[in-house]
Amino acid sequence: MRTFLQHPPRSPQQRGFVVALITMTSFVFGQPQYLPATDEPTHHSQVTSLIISPAQIKLGGWNLRQQVLVTAQTTEGNQFDVTHLCHLTTQDHRLALLDGSRVIAKSDGQTNLIAKFGGTQTSVEVSVNGCESPPPVHFQRDIIPLLAKLRCNGSGCHGKQSGQNGFRLSIFGFDPRGDFDALTKEARGRRVFPGDPNRSLVISKASGLTPHGGGRRTEPASDDIELFRRWIIQGARWGDENAAHLESIEVKPTERIMKMRDRQQILVTALYSDGSHRDVTTASSYASNMDVVADVTEPGSLYTGTTPGEAAITIQYMGQVAVTRILVPQAASTDSFDNPPIHNQIDDLVWQKLQKLRIQPSGICDDTTFLRRLFLDTIGTLPTPQEVEEFLDNTHPEKRSEKIRDVLSRSEFADFWALKWSDVLLVNSQALGARGALQFHHWIRQQMRENRPYDEWVREILTATGNTGKYGPVNFYRAAVTTNEVTKTIGQAFLGIRLDCAQCHHHPFEKWGQEDFYGLAAYFTGLQRKQLSADRDLVFHAGYRPATIPVLEKSVPARTLGGAAVESFSGDPRVPLADWLTSPDNPWFARLVANRLWKHFLGRGIVEPEDDLRSTNPATNEPLLDYLAGQVVALNFDLQAVMRLILNSRVYQLSSETNETNFNDQQNFSHHITKRLAAEILLDAICEVTGSPERFSGQPLGTRSIELWDNRLPSYFLDTFGRSPRESPCECGKSNDPTMAQALHLMNAPEIEAKIADPQGRIAQLLETQATPDQIVRNLCLTALNRFPTERETQIAKKLFEQQEGRLAAEDFLWTLLNSYDFLFIH
Amino acid sequence: MLPASTHNQIGRRNFLRVGAIGGMTLPHLLQLEKVFASDTAPKSDVNCLFIFILGGMPHQDMWDLKPQAPAEIRGDFQPISTAVPGLQISDVLPQTAKVTDKFSILRSLTHTDSDHGRGFHIMMTGKEPGAGDFNGNQNNNQHPCIGSMVAKLGTPGALPPYISVPNFMNSGGPSFLGASYGPFVIAADPAAPDFSVRDTSLPISVNSARSSRRRTALQQINQLEQEAEKLSKQVRSLDVFYEKAFNLMTSQAAKEAFDIQREPDTVREEYGMTSMGQCCLLGRRMVEAGCRFVSIENGHWDTHRKNTWSLRELLCPSFDQAVPALLNDLEQRGLLDSTLVVITTEFGRTPRINDLAGRDHWPNVFSVLMAGAGIEGGQIVGASDKQAAAVADRPITPEDLTATILHVMGIDYETVLKTPLGRPVPLADGGKPVFELFS
Repeated sequence: MRTFLQHPPRSPQQRGFVVALITMTSFVFGQPQYLPATDEPTHHSQVTSLIISPAQIKLGGWNLRQQVLVTAQTTEGNQFDVTHLCHLTTQDHRLALLDGSRVIAKSDGQTNLIAKFGGTQTSVEVSVNGCESPPPVHFQRDIIPLLAKLRCNGSGCHGKQSGQNGFRLSIFGFDPRGDFDALTKEARGRRVFPGDPNRSLVISKASGLTPHGGGRRTEPASDDIELFRRWIIQGARWGDENAAHLESIEVKPTERIMKMRDRQQILVTALYSDGSHRDVTTASSYASNMDVVADVTEPGSLYTGTTPGEAAITIQYMGQVAVTRILVPQAASTDSFDNPPIHNQIDDLVWQKLQKLRIQPSGICDDTTFLRRLFLDTIGTLPTPQEVEEFLDNTHPEKRSEKIRDVLSRSEFADFWALKWSDVLLVNSQALGARGALQFHHWIRQQMRENRPYDEWVREILTATGNTGKYGPVNFYRAAVTTNEVTKTIGQAFLGIRLDCAQCHHHPFEKWGQEDFYGLAAYFTGLQRKQLSADRDLVFHAGYRPATIPVLEKSVPARTLGGAAVESFSGDPRVPLADWLTSPDNPWFARLVANRLWKHFLGRGIVEPEDDLRSTNPATNEPLLDYLAGQVVALNFDLQAVMRLILNSRVYQLSSETNETNFNDQQNFSHHITKRLAAEILLDAICEVTGSPERFSGQPLGTRSIELWDNRLPSYFLDTFGRSPRESPCECGKSNDPTMAQALHLMNAPEIEAKIADPQGRIAQLLETQATPDQIVRNLCLTALNRFPTERETQIAKKLFEQQEGRLAAEDFLWTLLNSYDFLFIH
Repeated sequence: MLPASTHNQIGRRNFLRVGAIGGMTLPHLLQLEKVFASDTAPKSDVNCLFIFILGGMPHQDMWDLKPQAPAEIRGDFQPISTAVPGLQISDVLPQTAKVTDKFSILRSLTHTDSDHGRGFHIMMTGKEPGAGDFNGNQNNNQHPCIGSMVAKLGTPGALPPYISVPNFMNSGGPSFLGASYGPFVIAADPAAPDFSVRDTSLPISVNSARSSRRRTALQQINQLEQEAEKLSKQVRSLDVFYEKAFNLMTSQAAKEAFDIQREPDTVREEYGMTSMGQCCLLGRRMVEAGCRFVSIENGHWDTHRKNTWSLRELLCPSFDQAVPALLNDLEQRGLLDSTLVVITTEFGRTPRINDLAGRDHWPNVFSVLMAGAGIEGGQIVGASDKQAAAVADRPITPEDLTATILHVMGIDYETVLKTPLGRPVPLADGGKPVFELFS
C-alpha cells in the first residue's frame, strides 16, 4: 500500500486510473501481454471515498462465500477498482474470514468488513447465519449450476444427445427433472450413494478418484465436492418443490472506462424469486467479444490489454445473461477533440463516441470519390464520364444531397436492391426451381421499384398463400421447407435473432429457450404445401395447432418472442404474427433493417454480424443504432428515406485515408472502410469499361449481373469473386475476400482479354472516332476510375503508346486500369 | 483437455530404456524431450500431402478391427494379414494391406466434438472453435489451418506453398494469418477429361513483351495508390496475390506440375481414374515441383446408413487403389523420404451399428494414418479399448497431430504468432509431436 502513497497526485491528464504496482504480483494467471509496463508510473489522484459492493453481506451457511467489489471515487468524479489494492479486514475473525477479496462465513453473528485505501476507509455489515444447521441443498438451484460449472453437461460431454459412456445429462441443464432422474435413479444408484457419499460416482469421477474419461474436474477437498457431499448426505433429494427460482443475474460494474493493462474485479449476483440473492461470481462463465481489449482470464477477474477500443463481456449463469462493457481509450497524446462539422444527427452520435475514445475522424472525401462511392453503394453502377464531369462542374452547395436524391430514383436501384434482398430471402433457383426463383425475384424487384414500405412487403411475405409458380412471395415458404426452418429463417432474416440453438436447448448466450422457439414455430405448424407439379407448390395455412417440443413431448401454444400464449385463432395465425413482427413496437424489426442498411453503406454493422442482435452482442454505438431504428419507424419504413439520411451524413462521406489516431479503428466509423467491388458489381463494371457485355446462358445479351434472378447461372467469374450461394438467410455467404485465383483471373482469363479486345468494344469505338491517345486515356480513366487521369497515369499511358501501335497500347492501358486498386475498390 | 503431464508418456519406448538405468524425474524427462527433438531434427525440405476423408472414417471397419467384439459392434469386415507380420487391417483394403510397411497407424486420436463442421475445424487446425455453426461455411476458420501455418512459416518453393484440390475445404482457411496464406484452390477435379488449372498462363494474344509492359505499368499505377491506401487490409492482401500470381504465371515448373495429362496413362490408371486417385497423383506432381502442402478432400464418408455396403461398393475401392499407388510411386521416385503423407478425418464412427445399418459420429477414439518423411512404417501407435469406443492407451489429440506435422516439416511447433491486434496464439496449442513415429 505504501508504494502508492509515496507518489504524489498527478496532473489531471494522468488522472483517474490506477495502474498498480501491486497488481503485478496478482497477475499470475493473467496472460503475459497484460503485464503492466514497468516504465509506466504508478499513480492515482486523490481518493475521496470508497464504495463496497454489496452494501450488505448476508451469508446463510458455513463456508459460504461472498465476493466483494471495492471501488474508489476520486476528486474528479472518476471511479476505479481497488478490490485487489485496498486493505480488507473483518472485525471478528471468528464469524467471517477473508480469502483474498472473498468473505467466508464461519460462525453465526454480525460483524463488519472494513476496506482502507489511499487514506480513506469504509465498512459494510456482515451477517452470518445457518452455520449450525446447513440449509437444505436444492437440486435445481445448487446442483445443476455445479454440473454446469464443472462442465459435466456441455455439448462435448454428458450433455450431448447420446450422453457419454451411458451417462446423459441435458445440455446446459435445460431439463433439470431429467438430470435428477439420471443422477439418482439410473445406473442402479451408483451415481449417488447416500450410504457412503464418497463412493458415489458423481464424487469419485468428478474428483478423479476413479478413472474418468473427462479427467479430474475438481479437487477432492474442494467446495464443489463438499456441496455434492452435503446434497448426498441430505438424501440426494430434489428439494422444496416450491423453492425460489432464479430470476435474473446482476453484474457490477456494468460499464467502466479503463486504462490499458489494468484490472477490474467483476461481481455477479443471482437474484431469486423470493427476493434472496447469492454471489455466483466464480460459478459464472465469461466471454469477451474483443479479447485484445479486455478479457476475463479467471472467473471474475478482468484485464485490459494494450489495444484501445471497446469490449463487451458476456456473463452467463444458468441461462441468465448480463453484459459488462469496457471502454479503453487511445492513450492520450492530447485530450483535445477537433469537433468536425455535423450534417445530421448521425454525425453527432458518431463524434460523441469518437471523442470518448480520443479518436479524430478523417476529413471529408473529395467529389469524385463521393460520386463513385455513392453510385456503387446505391445502384451498383459506375457513373458515366458525362455524369462525372457534370457533377464536378456543378457549383451548387447542396449538390451532394441533390445527387443522392437523383441516384435513389434511378431504375438500377430496383435491380441492385433486389439482388441484395434475394441473398437474404434465399432466392435460390436450385431450391425454388426456375419458376419460383423468377417469380420471387420479380416480385422483390417490384417492391424495390415502388419503394414500398419495408413493413408492408415483409407482411406480404409472411402471410403469403398461393401457387409458387405464379405468386412470388409465397416462395419464401418453399425456400424454408420445414416448420423449424421457417422459424429460424424468420428469426434471422427479419428479427436478427438466431434461434438455431433454441431449437434443441436453451440458447447459451441468450434468453431464448425451446418454449420460445416452438412458441414461434406454432404459428407455422398448420402450414401446408401441396405439390401442383414438379416445380410448383400450393402453400396455404390449414389452421392453427400447437407445436410439440421433441424429447420432452411437450405441447407449446403459439407465442411471439416475449409475448403471451395464444390458444386459438379465428383465421390464419400468420396474420397476427405479422402484426406483431412488423409493429413499430417490435424491438428487433426496425433495428435489424437499420443495422443492415448501415452495414451496407459503411462496410461494418453497428452490431456485427449485422443480423445477430443479441443483448449479449452489443452495438459499438448503442445511441446511433437506437436513433437509426427510431428513424426507420418515424419514416414509416420508407427505406429510401433512411438511406438518404445515411448517405447525407458526414460519416458516410468521410475519406478512407486515415490519421494517426484512427488508423487502428475498425468499429467506430472514424474513416471510410475500403471495400472490394462485390462479384456482380465488378463484373458489370468490367463490361461497362470494356464496352463488352457478358453473355449469360438463356439471358438476352446485355443482361447485367445485378439483374440476374438465377443465382445458379454458370459463371466462373461470379463464383471466384464470391457471389452468395443463398443457402442461409444472411449475407454471410457472400465473400469479398481477395484470393490469388481472382488476381490470376483478372490478369489472364481469356474471357476478360476478349472483352478488352472486343471488336465492338470501347477501345474499338474510340479508335473508330479517331480519338487521340490523350482522349483515349481520358475516356478510359473517366469510365473506370470516374475521375480524370493523374499526371502519373498520363505518363504511364504515354510510355505504352510510345512502345507499340495505338490499339495494343490502349488495350494494355485498359488492362492496367482493370487490375488497378483504384478500380477494384470502393474508396 | 488432457492433463499437462500426458505428453510425458510420449517417449514411452525411450522412457523405458532410460528408466531402466536410473530413476526418472521431471527435469530428466524434459531434458530427454529436448534430446528427442534434436535427434529427430526434421528435414526442412519435407512437403506434405494432407488427405482428408470427409464425413468420418470408420476406424473399426478399416484400421482398428475388433473381431472379438459382439456382432453389433465388430460389424461385417474381417481382419486380414498384411505386409507387416502381426499387423492386420480390414479385408475391404486388400491393396493397402500390401503396403502397411510404408505407413503407420495412429489408433488413439481423440477429441470431444461430434459435429461435422466443428470436427473438420478441429482436425484441419488442431483447435476447437468457439460457439457457432461451422457446417457449410467456407473459410470458417477461427484458427489457421495447418496448410496456412506451413504457408506462413515454411520455406517457400516454386509453387504456391499451399494448394487445395479439388475444392476449397471449409476449414482450410488462414484465419488471422490473412488471405495471403490461404490455399491456392484448384476448383476442378483432375479426374475430369478436360481438367486444367485455369488462368495460369497468358492469353494467346498477349506475348511476353506485352505482358512485361503491362506488368510494369500496373506496378507503377498501384505504387501510388499503395501509399494512399497503405492501411486497407483488403488492398494489401490483393497486392500480395498479384505478386504471387505473377510468380506463378512465369514458373515453368508450375505449368508442368498442373498438367496432369503429361503423366503416362499407365501411371494415371495405376492411381485409378477417380477423384481420389487423380487428386493423389496431382498432389504428387505438385509436391515434386515444390508445393509445400497439398490438401485433398475426399467426401461422402458419412455412413449413417448402410455402412458396410457404402464402404465396400462406393468408398473404399478408390481409396484402396489410390493410397498404395501413391506410396509406391513416392518410394520409387525417391520422394517418400521427403514427403509426409497424412490421411485424416473429422472423427471415427460409433462402436454400435445403428438401426439403419450405419454408424454415427464418434470423436472419442479414431484412427489416422501417417507415412513418409522419416516416419517408420508398419507401426501402430496408441490403442482403443475392446469396442473401439475409447482410448485405451496413449491418447493423441488433434493438437498433437498438428505438432507432429509441423515438426516433421521443420517448423517449430511451439511457435507463437500474434493476431493483427496483438493476441499471442500458439500454433499447436500445447500439442506435442508423436515422437514414437520416428524411432
